[in-house]
Amino acid sequence: MKLTDAARVIRSKNAGPLTLTIDLMFADSGTYERALAAPSLSPQHLATLYNQPAESIHVIPYPAALAIKLVLDRKIVAGSPGDSDVYGAQQHGPLLEVEI
Amino acid sequence: MTDLGALLDRIGRRGARRRPLRALAASGQLGYGIPEKAFRVGLEHQPDFIGCDMGSVDPGPYYLGSGKMATSPAVTRRDLHMVLTGARHLDVPLILGSAGTAGALPHLETTLDIIRTIACEEGLHFRLASIRADISGEVVKQALRETRLRPLGRIAETREADIDACTHIVGQMGTEAFVRALKTGADVIIAGRSCDTAVFAAIPQLLDYPMGLVMHMAKIIECTSICCTPGGRDAILGLLDDEGFVLDSMNPSRHATPMSVAAHSLYEQADPFSVTEPEGTLWVDRARYEAMDEHRTRVSGARWQPANRPTIKIEGSSREGERAVLLAGSCDPSFIANIWTILKDVEGIARSIYPGEYRLHTRVYGLHGVTQWPSPPEAPPREIFILVESIAQTAEEAGTAIGVFKQYLLHHGFPGRLSTGGNIAFPFTPPELGAGTAYRFRLYHVMDTEELASQFPIEVEAV
Repeated sequence: MKLTDAARVIRSKNAGPLTLTIDLMFADSGTYERALAAPSLSPQHLATLYNQPAESIHVIPYPAALAIKLVLDRKIVAGSPGDSDVYGAQQHGPLLEVEI
Repeated sequence: MTDLGALLDRIGRRGARRRPLRALAASGQLGYGIPEKAFRVGLEHQPDFIGCDMGSVDPGPYYLGSGKMATSPAVTRRDLHMVLTGARHLDVPLILGSAGTAGALPHLETTLDIIRTIACEEGLHFRLASIRADISGEVVKQALRETRLRPLGRIAETREADIDACTHIVGQMGTEAFVRALKTGADVIIAGRSCDTAVFAAIPQLLDYPMGLVMHMAKIIECTSICCTPGGRDAILGLLDDEGFVLDSMNPSRHATPMSVAAHSLYEQADPFSVTEPEGTLWVDRARYEAMDEHRTRVSGARWQPANRPTIKIEGSSREGERAVLLAGSCDPSFIANIWTILKDVEGIARSIYPGEYRLHTRVYGLHGVTQWPSPPEAPPREIFILVESIAQTAEEAGTAIGVFKQYLLHHGFPGRLSTGGNIAFPFTPPELGAGTAYRFRLYHVMDTEELASQFPIEVEAV
């Protein structure tokens, strides 16, 4: 199942200029549990998608909103020369092709 | 003059059955245009105070570095006029945090000037308190030396020279500063860089509402109706009692549901379960969300853990250089197929012709201008857009470098070239543009401190 078919929201945003946070929100507990169990959403696999060390990636389940939060370091401090996304609002791209 | 004793008498003291405190959150981003209808509906609910957040680090280091506002003077003035006249006609406190986007002294002064002008034009009279949030480099350097300064994520190691390089450094004030300002009898408080929560938490804290509830409500309403479904920027009313609070969007088509409110804890937060503030930590892991009806949700259960030692979040921005940019596109398949080699070769040529001190950052939209994809696209795009950023110490150097780069990119010969008239399309002339001064966040740290009050001085004036 594609993540884009399972999730009702896939959004990214800065949590401060040094940190990127990606929220995956699901419509029902079935798809939420499925995503939570998916190896493709493990820090190890996310590390290959986002080209950064797995130790710097955190996956936080948030059952109150049937959501999974991913927390990553920003590679470039927001708004520094060379940055491509000051708000971090379009860094969900690599997740769009993920299968769960 | 705001009489807090009278407010307490009106509402009642803790322990007795008291009516809910009504907090109207007018804006989470004042200066971008407050939706007027919902704000007017909010005023009809007779709020006990009006709060607005005006700033953020989100727009990047330019605003803190330059001292300029991200919002336009015209819309900023419109929004300030709306909230100032609204609060004064009801004779309730108006509290505004993170004045002028970044909340340093130039931002605060610009905002205060607009407030004074509106007051003069409208014949309004009130006590105005302003709170500065600028932190001296010496204070931050001393914290660095005493290992009381920790980065809030991955950033280059901070040296004293980095702190000296910052054009402005601010600290985020918490409720302490707003409580102090309210105790001066201020009707209107305009504060420099502030915690979003503090704007909405100071009055309920003074009235002795449970701090877990106070902070949780403040954290939600500072974004106005973003916590609703569908989310939006309309004013929201928070109704706080001693056991919980109710969220009521002033736009009837935006509904605060248990799910939408719970989900708001995720928004722009690395940790959905706790929020660290200067004076303590808010824990929302045991919060409960119950629907009152289809439009309103009641929230309870958050806890507050006071800090052993206060902390201040520190933000600092320094000038990086002057920026020039080049905008160009291409639809040529052989150019697109060879783009990375071409860009590298052209930069080499440009540097051999103009060897000055400059940096070039290239983004190729259509390939990976927005994000770093883990793999190339299945088929090459039909068109690409090329954005080149040049950073140098002077605008002339940045512009010269990008001008040379542009011309060699246009006419660069490469194996298999089909379109020998020119490799790129310019959307207008000149295609290279000066883009002003570039800044960089040097400080995004937390500083342990002994006390907060001396860092955030207050001035009171009669308007």
